[in-house]
Amino acid sequence: MKGRYDEENLKWIAPLIILVIVLPFLLRGATFSYRYYLYVLNIAGIYTILTVGLDLLSGYTGLISLGHAGFLAIGAYTSAVLVDQAGVPFGLSLIVSPLITGLFGILVGFPALRISGMYLGLTTMGFGFIVRRLIIALRTWTEGSAGLEVSKPVLFGFTFANDWHNYFLIYLFVIVVVVFARRVMKSKIGRALMAIRDSEHAAQAVGINLVRYKLFAFFLSAVLAGLAGVLFAHTMRFISTDHFDILLSIYFLIMVLVGGVATIYGAVLGTLFIVLLDFLAIPLFKDWLASFMAVQVADIQSLIFGCIMFLFIIFQPMGLYGMWLKMRIYWKLFPFNPKIKQT
Amino acid sequence: MKLRKPVTLILLITFFLACAGREPTPGVTDTEILIGNIQDLSGPMKELGMALPHGSNLYFNYINDKGGVHGRQIRMTMEDHQYNPQKAVAAAKKLIEQDQVFCLYQIIGTSPCEAIRPMLEENGIPLVAPATQSGTMSDRSKTGWKYIFHTDTGYDKQANILVDYAYELNASAKVGVIYQDDDYGENVLEGIAEAEARHGVTIQKEAFQRGATDFAGQVMNLNKGGATHVIIGGIVREPIIVMKTAAAMGYAPQFLGISPTMDHRVALGSGEAGEGFIAANFAQLYNSDTEGAELYRELFEKSGTDPKVMGMYNFYGFITAMVLVEGLERAGKRLTRDGLIKALEGVKGYDGKGVFRGITYGPNDRAGTEAVVLVENRGGTQRIISDWIE
Repeated sequence: MKGRYDEENLKWIAPLIILVIVLPFLLRGATFSYRYYLYVLNIAGIYTILTVGLDLLSGYTGLISLGHAGFLAIGAYTSAVLVDQAGVPFGLSLIVSPLITGLFGILVGFPALRISGMYLGLTTMGFGFIVRRLIIALRTWTEGSAGLEVSKPVLFGFTFANDWHNYFLIYLFVIVVVVFARRVMKSKIGRALMAIRDSEHAAQAVGINLVRYKLFAFFLSAVLAGLAGVLFAHTMRFISTDHFDILLSIYFLIMVLVGGVATIYGAVLGTLFIVLLDFLAIPLFKDWLASFMAVQVADIQSLIFGCIMFLFIIFQPMGLYGMWLKMRIYWKLFPFNPKIKQT
Repeated sequence: MKLRKPVTLILLITFFLACAGREPTPGVTDTEILIGNIQDLSGPMKELGMALPHGSNLYFNYINDKGGVHGRQIRMTMEDHQYNPQKAVAAAKKLIEQDQVFCLYQIIGTSPCEAIRPMLEENGIPLVAPATQSGTMSDRSKTGWKYIFHTDTGYDKQANILVDYAYELNASAKVGVIYQDDDYGENVLEGIAEAEARHGVTIQKEAFQRGATDFAGQVMNLNKGGATHVIIGGIVREPIIVMKTAAAMGYAPQFLGISPTMDHRVALGSGEAGEGFIAANFAQLYNSDTEGAELYRELFEKSGTDPKVMGMYNFYGFITAMVLVEGLERAGKRLTRDGLIKALEGVKGYDGKGVFRGITYGPNDRAGTEAVVLVENRGGTQRIISDWIE
C-alpha cells in the first residue's frame, strides 16, 4: 500500500541540512565580512518561517493577508515583554508567544468567514495598523514608539551571543517549519484547505467544516509568524514600531508570489531571493548606477521590486519553484522534449 | 652564554608586543580616515538625508584642502536605511565589517540609532553626533552608551525649556502640546511630564501620526481645551499646516516649536499664520554673524551648490562635522577608536566657532550641549530673540 508521504521526495533533506550547517563555515573562509552576510541570512531565515506560514494561508487556502507584519510584531513584543519583564525563560516564550499570536490569528480569522479577496486584504491591512497603534498605546510595557531593547536568547543555559550562534538557532527552526508545513499540507488538513480555496461550496458539500478549517489556517499562519517574531526580537535585540509597517507585509506577499504560491519551497526560495536582492544585489546595483549616472538612485528599490513582481506574474506565474520544476522535467526528458507551443 | 636565553626571551616578547601594537586601526591609513554615515535616502526623511551629509562634506573638504587631520584626509562613505531600524543594523554591519570604517557618524533617526547600540558595544566603535535630538542618546542606562557622543540638546530638555518660557510670557498661560507619536514625540512627552510635575499643572496633549497632513481634529481640541500656548513637536510640514489650520479656525495661540520646526521653510511656508512663531534651537542660525556660520556661507557659495540646499539641516551637517574633526584633532597622530573616545571625553565647552553654547563631554557625560536659543519668525525671516537658555 502506498503511504501518505511516498510521493514526497525526501532525499534532498540530508544534503540540504549539511549545506545549511556548512554554509557559515564556507562564508567565514571566503570573506572577512562574513558576519554581515550571516546577518542577512538570519533575516532571510526569520522571514522564511513567516512566509511559509503566509503560504499556508494565502497560497493553499486562498485567504489574502496584508497584516502579517502585525503578527510578527505581536510575536516579537509578546516575547520581549514576557522574557524581559515577566521573567519567563526564553525556551518557554518560544512556545507561549507564538500561541498567543495564534489567538490573534483566530480573531482576525473571524471576518474571513464572511469576506474574501480584496476585502479580506483590506481588513488584514487594517489589523496591521491596529497592532502598531496598540503597541504605542500600551507604552507601560512596550515603551511606545521609542522601541524596546531585548535580551539575547538563552536556551538550556547557553546564550546565543552573536550572529554565528543565531544562525544555527534560526535555521534549526527553518528546517523544522518547512518539513512540518510540507507534511501538514500533504495531510487531510492540507487537502481540505486547498478544497476551500478552489471552491467553498464544493468543499462544504463533501463535509469540510469551513469555519474550523479557515480559523485553523489563520491560527497556524499566525503561530508561525509569532515564532518568527520571537526569533526576530531576541536575535535583532531591538524592536520598534518602525520595523513593522505595511510595506513589510507587502514584501512578504511578494516573497510568496515570486517563489511560487502553494508549494512551501516557493516561499523559501522567494524569501531568500528577495532578501538577498534587497540587502546585497540592489546596493551593488545602486553603486554601479551611481558610478556613471548623476541621478539620485535612492528610490530605485521599489521600482526594481515592482518590475520583478510584474515580470514574474506575466512570464512565470508559477514562481521560482515553478521554474525549477520545469527545468527538472526538461532535463529528465532530454533530449526527447516535446515542443510545447505557448498559446 | 648564560645571558643568551633571557635576552632571546625578552627580544621575542618585545617582538610579539610590537606586532600586537602594530595592528592597524580599521579605516585609518597614513593618508586617510574613513568614516561611515547612514542616512535616510529613500524613506520618510529623505529630504534631510541629502542635505545633512552635503553640509558635513563642506567642512570635511575644507579641512582636507588645508592638509587634513594630522596629514590624513577625511573620507565619508554613506549607506541608506530608509528610516528602518533593521536596515540601519545591516548598513552598520556593512560599514564596520566590509568597508572597515574607523567610526560611525551622524546616523539619522532615533530608532535606527537605538537599534545599532549592541553593535557599537560589540565592536567598540564610536558613533559621533547621531542626527537626532532625542535625550535617550545620552542615557547612561542603555547598552553601548559609552560609544555614543550626542551633540544636541535633547527634545525632552527643549520641551521643558519651552514650557518654562510659556509661563514666563504669561504666568496664567494654559499650555498644550501637539506631537508626532513616534520616538521623537515620545521624548518630547518625557520633557512635558517633567515640566508638568515641576509646575504642578496638566498639559493638554494631542498626537498625530508621522506623515499626517490633516490636523483639524487636534487643533480643534486644543482650541476647545483653551490652550493659549501650543508647543509643536513636528518637523517642517506639520507646524506649517497646524498654524494655518488654527488661523483658518480663528484660533490664535502663541505657537512654540521644538528644534526640527526651526527650519527656515517653516517661516517661508506658514506666511501670516506663522507670524510670531517661536522655535528652540541648540545652535546659532546659519545666517547669523558667528564665525562658524560665516565660514559655512563662504564655503557653501564656493561649492556652487543649488542655493535651495542652504538652510538649517545643511548647516546641522556642517557643525556636527566640526565636532568630529575636533575629536580627531585631539586624538593625535596615532589614531585609534579608544583614542577618539578618550579625546572626545576631554572636550570641554567647545563652541564650534561661536555656533554652540559649549559642547562638553566627560567619562560619564555624553550629552554635548544642553542649551537652546529661541528663534522668532517675523515677516518670513528668522531672528534670534534670546540668549542661551539652559
